[in-house]
Amino acid sequence: MDRTITYKEASEDISGIITKTGWKYYAVLTLMAVSAVSFLFLPWAYQIYSGQGVTGLNAPVFWGLYLVNFIYWVGIAHAGTLISAMLYITQTPWRRAIARGAETMTFFALFLVSLFIFVHMGRPWNFYWTMPYPNQRQIWTNFTSPITFDVFAIGTYTTSSIVFLFFGMIPDLASLSHTATGWRKRLYTALSFGWRGTDRQWHLQAKACMFFGAFIMPLVVSVHSVVSWDFALSVVPGYAKTVFAPYFVTGALLSGFAGVLLMLSIMREAYPVMKKYVTAYHYDKVTIFVVVLSLIWSYLTLMEVVTGLYANTSQEIEHLKYKLAISPFSYLFALMIFSNSVLPLLYIFKKLRNSFFGRFIIPVFVLIGMWLERFLIVPNSLSRKFLPWMWHDYSPTWVEYSIPIGALFFFISMFMVFIKVFPIIAIFEVKEDIGIPMRKSH
Amino acid sequence: MAGFLERITERWKVYREPGFFKKLDHKWTMVIDLDKCNGCGACVLACYAENNLPVVGKDECAMSRAFSWLRIERYIDGEYPDVKVKFIPVMCQHCSKAPCETGCPVYATYHNQDGLNVQVYNRCVGTFTCATYCPYDVRRFNWRSYKFEQPLDHQLNPDVTVREMGVMEKCTFCIQRIRAAKDKAKDEGRTVQDGEVLPACVQSCPTGAMIFGDLLDPNSKAAKLAKSPRRYRLLEELNADPSVIYLKRVMKEGPSKHG
Amino acid sequence: MKRRDFLKILGVGGVGTGLGYFFGKASKPPAAELIPYLIPPVDVIPGVANWYPSLCTQCSAGCGIHVRVMEGRAKKIEGNPLHPINKGKLCARGQASLQVLYNPDRIKKPLKRRGDRGKGDFEEITWEEGLSLLSKNLTALSEKGETEKLYFVSSQTRGSLNSIINNFMASYGSPNYMQYELIQNKNLLFANHVSMGLNNIPHYDIANTKYLLSFGADFGTTWLSPVNYSFAYGQMRQGEDGIRGKFVQIEPRLSLTGANADEWVPAKPGTEGVLALAIAYAIVEDGYYKGSDAASWKALLSEYSPKDAAVVTEIAEGRIREIAKEFGQTRPSLAIGGENLARYENGMSGIVAVNILNHLAGNIGIRGGVIPNSNGSRTIDFKNNINALATAASASKVKTLLVYNTNPVFTTPKAMKTEESLRNIPFIASFSSFMDETTAMADLILPAHTSLEDWGDDFADPSVGHPVVTIMQPAVSPFFNTVGIGDIILSLAKGIGGKVKDKMQWNDFSDYLKDAWKANYSKDKDMLASALTFDEFWNQLLARGGWWPADQAKVKSVAVSPKGIEAHIAKASSRFEGDEKGFPLYLTTYAHSSYLDGRGANLPWLQEIPDPMTSVVWGNWIELNPKTASNMGIKEGDTVSVESPFGKINAHVYLYPGIRPDTVSMPIGQGHSTYGRYAKGRGSNPIDILPFKEDPNTGELALNVTRVKISRVISSEKMVKIEGSTKELGRNIVQTISPDEFNKMNKEVS
Repeated sequence: MDRTITYKEASEDISGIITKTGWKYYAVLTLMAVSAVSFLFLPWAYQIYSGQGVTGLNAPVFWGLYLVNFIYWVGIAHAGTLISAMLYITQTPWRRAIARGAETMTFFALFLVSLFIFVHMGRPWNFYWTMPYPNQRQIWTNFTSPITFDVFAIGTYTTSSIVFLFFGMIPDLASLSHTATGWRKRLYTALSFGWRGTDRQWHLQAKACMFFGAFIMPLVVSVHSVVSWDFALSVVPGYAKTVFAPYFVTGALLSGFAGVLLMLSIMREAYPVMKKYVTAYHYDKVTIFVVVLSLIWSYLTLMEVVTGLYANTSQEIEHLKYKLAISPFSYLFALMIFSNSVLPLLYIFKKLRNSFFGRFIIPVFVLIGMWLERFLIVPNSLSRKFLPWMWHDYSPTWVEYSIPIGALFFFISMFMVFIKVFPIIAIFEVKEDIGIPMRKSH
Repeated sequence: MAGFLERITERWKVYREPGFFKKLDHKWTMVIDLDKCNGCGACVLACYAENNLPVVGKDECAMSRAFSWLRIERYIDGEYPDVKVKFIPVMCQHCSKAPCETGCPVYATYHNQDGLNVQVYNRCVGTFTCATYCPYDVRRFNWRSYKFEQPLDHQLNPDVTVREMGVMEKCTFCIQRIRAAKDKAKDEGRTVQDGEVLPACVQSCPTGAMIFGDLLDPNSKAAKLAKSPRRYRLLEELNADPSVIYLKRVMKEGPSKHG
Repeated sequence: MKRRDFLKILGVGGVGTGLGYFFGKASKPPAAELIPYLIPPVDVIPGVANWYPSLCTQCSAGCGIHVRVMEGRAKKIEGNPLHPINKGKLCARGQASLQVLYNPDRIKKPLKRRGDRGKGDFEEITWEEGLSLLSKNLTALSEKGETEKLYFVSSQTRGSLNSIINNFMASYGSPNYMQYELIQNKNLLFANHVSMGLNNIPHYDIANTKYLLSFGADFGTTWLSPVNYSFAYGQMRQGEDGIRGKFVQIEPRLSLTGANADEWVPAKPGTEGVLALAIAYAIVEDGYYKGSDAASWKALLSEYSPKDAAVVTEIAEGRIREIAKEFGQTRPSLAIGGENLARYENGMSGIVAVNILNHLAGNIGIRGGVIPNSNGSRTIDFKNNINALATAASASKVKTLLVYNTNPVFTTPKAMKTEESLRNIPFIASFSSFMDETTAMADLILPAHTSLEDWGDDFADPSVGHPVVTIMQPAVSPFFNTVGIGDIILSLAKGIGGKVKDKMQWNDFSDYLKDAWKANYSKDKDMLASALTFDEFWNQLLARGGWWPADQAKVKSVAVSPKGIEAHIAKASSRFEGDEKGFPLYLTTYAHSSYLDGRGANLPWLQEIPDPMTSVVWGNWIELNPKTASNMGIKEGDTVSVESPFGKINAHVYLYPGIRPDTVSMPIGQGHSTYGRYAKGRGSNPIDILPFKEDPNTGELALNVTRVKISRVISSEKMVKIEGSTKELGRNIVQTISPDEFNKMNKEVS
């Protein structure tokens, strides 16, 4: 980034993102919110009222699009944490401008994760039964169930992500509270918890962030491993694969990085001022990660298929046939390979990294490809289980299409509200990045 | 500290005792002679009648949401005129190492003292995990609030709950009949006799292909048949240890002398 | 908040809750809140089930049932474990008869036609009005001296209902009581009569036979006494003696029963009779027949040498001789001729051929063979068939028609014009509980009880070697405003008055039944020998569900002789309508395992459980060999029009390798134009496109008698089947062992 920015300029630029809001922004936000209600909440209410029967789920295919989106958003949630936590610990400098955005993405992605769990459940009003709490009947949750693992993994992940996000934000909130007025001032003052910028406070903040960074880092690996065990711990052909934990984690990071790239690119277009802080340098670094992850992912995908072929049982072969050789899934599989294995390799060309193609098109394809990966695993494997008599295809209904789309709108509208309340770029961290001569001139 | 650990390990030893979890009051088993079964479907209807299974109609059937807890699978080998048709009734296999039981986060499905894999409807939150894990595809879900058209609701069996929307269900080996027999035996101060419990499908089976009994009672008909050299269990390679034992169909191998 | 406000809110809230509670209460009927039976009626203990023995009337097998009744409502039907026919077992149709009782489409009150006939426009009337309307009509008829113009058509009734109707018709002065339903086995009865001198169906002892040769008998689902035969089949396969009987099925389309056979012989449709005679010839020629009249048999069968038959039937000569050898040498063996064989144009002679086989192998009268039944003799009126009614109606010789429990409009071919001839009848009264196609033509509907609400009895035919009589008693009180059929007839007799009333002096049908049994009791030495008074005997009868003395003297049949049956032997294979070029495919029809002749189609359970051979639900289909289909470019699930020279219907295609490539097959039972919400407008009825062909001797309608052509049509309706794939893919799902291995295994065990 441009190291000739002054502290003042940085503060004003970033708080400007919060305070300067045009009518266009409101219009888009309203549109998004209305879409979220009509695509997500109304169909969901309809589904709760009439039951899961409004979906296309059926006797062998009990896990459909909702579970696909659940895993998908867990994956998206991963890059945020990786960028901020892992790179925080290693003190990688290029993370600073993009870390807050990525963390925010994690937070809302995790929000959607829990939303999809509720949407997926037959009786969501009883969700709290999945948590262990003392009760007079002495019923505990089943600790052997991967679903219980999920509850803990995602619960822990969400809590620590929120804390990490919040701890990192305290200095910024304090600095914002100086200039803000009205409810914002009250909010920032309250949330900054009396931050005055003393040495001791900086010291503690850094320590806390380091602690949570270190705490979250293994979670990145474990959460998606646990999610993959939802499948890997079953006996279903196509699910029961030992490669699933690394496969899912890699895929999650790949989609997460693509998500971060896309989000930053969109924000840069929406707020040209951000171009000062998120520069070609950042694209350079993130895209290299994408290339590496894509290569690992390709290897693991190959392994997934090859182990199935090597097993050479009727179950595995029929499952692979269904996935690889029968339309429309063969096309989807080809599209998945194209977007996840072929396209990201183009980042090898330096010129592409910061082009429109590299900033928008490739991330979108990777996001689609990763979604397809989950789709080709979750409902597809169930369509070809052990007893051929019960084989049945799955075709999602409009409700199942509508709710994920609405969830995306909901994600965007929450994000847009967040941007208007909290700094999407860490002010103090950006300032740390500013060249020494410029620091004085505020 | 050491004393504490000792106390703990001492207490755990009770559970570590080999076979502790296999100590069952009964081990209900169904033996199905595939050489007798002719695939007529009487058992399927008996199950509908006994267990208040809803009739879902053509559209839902097309989505593979028919409620049959018990189904008869039919496999056809070969081309005309060398056609071989095989029938096999498949219901919940009540696996002793049930894949579904590990999946449920809330213990809505668990193994009881009778060796049955039971489903607690009220506890079910509907995560579908059990049904996904089940290799036999025998679990059925209440996709909607199914209605029994008036006055067909008069036929509902009062011994069996009508399940509400959003819960998973499956074959129970007619647990209500097992309960009734156990209660009666208890009232009379004896144990349940062989042949006293007949699930609806077994009771109705016209060819007498299905036998039900307690595997722990060595004199029961089921226990004797379970030792037949024709015995096998469905998808045994998965090691789910099912309680349903099939007796092999007697059938010529290779092409038959048709035509 | 002030304390005062808090109290206010609390108060208002409290009152609101209370009011809500009371409104909620008031809007519900009080009975819904109370436990009924504070003082319960006799026999009712809430939560405790009563089991009433009774009779299943879903087909003519006459199985004994137990009806589970709780708090006055029937809950489940199971087989009566004491009953010798079904031994505690029960088929799907029998168990589903609960839904006959609680069917939402039942006719709940007497109805009178308001609009045009056949339009289904009826108005509700009271029983008094309905009965007086009918008895006035009958009185008027008898005043005009046209009592013979009263026709009564019912399903096959046996026992007291049969006798009370006969009584009524006789005292009224009409000879025209006829019994008709689609499946009444008249060809079988006639063939057994002419070849063995039997007046009823013998007991085919499948359980103890060691070689079963079945000519299209689908005894696992629909033929004669399916539950009895299914049990016997289980015994034959894995009986106590450890010797597994062999089972060979001869039919063009593999039925459920055929699917269980060890060998399937797909003879060309219509040639099974010839095949049977060829086997018979081979038995005689190869010396397996030990009788003294072998020469005359050989002379009689000389036209049917296996070599010639091989050309006609498309079954190799060696195969025929092999069957002859196995059939002739295995002791005991048994040949049976089922509906598929009996419903060809010359079906009766096919059954005669089967009887010849049994005679030649010496299977008649032995254990594991054909055992004649002593169960009294049935008087079967072969002449008084449904076509006689249609002809009389067309000639305006029918003034009033009474219909009970039969649906000729649905089960006769359109070519017979039953519906048109019924329109000629000035007055039709139906006693059906359902708006079937024939009842829709009625002017007056007096809905009779269903079998779970009514009294009755039944003499099983075929029986099991000794008489089996089953008592039908009301398991529940009438659910709707209906009256038992016997009581309707008695009320009619009272309404008509005069000599009819004098001859029918019973208070109600249960009295009639009891009187009939008093007569049986005093006549029968077995009953008297039981040393019970009649009342004790009667109570025992009701408690056990019937009467079946196992130790009755065996009866003997007349030996099948070459002379006696010469006239009834088929001269050639059965003919099919339609020329081979225009109509390339043989159509065979069969009674569906759930709907039978169409009567089960209104029961949601039967619609929902998948067909055993195709897994199709809620509709019907046409079975086509995959080779034929691919030649024609037809895929599974396509809709095709099935056209015979006599009509055209649409059906969905199901690809079934178990059918000859030159044959298509359709189940009977769907295609109702009325008959309630579950049956109406579902699929099509193959009987519609059949020609009208009846056996000259028996009047039985031929069902496998035409060729068809099929072509694809566009339709929005879909065929729904339950199966995903029928390929096992080497997954060892249904494991098998070979018969040799099995025999070895048995020796090791014992």
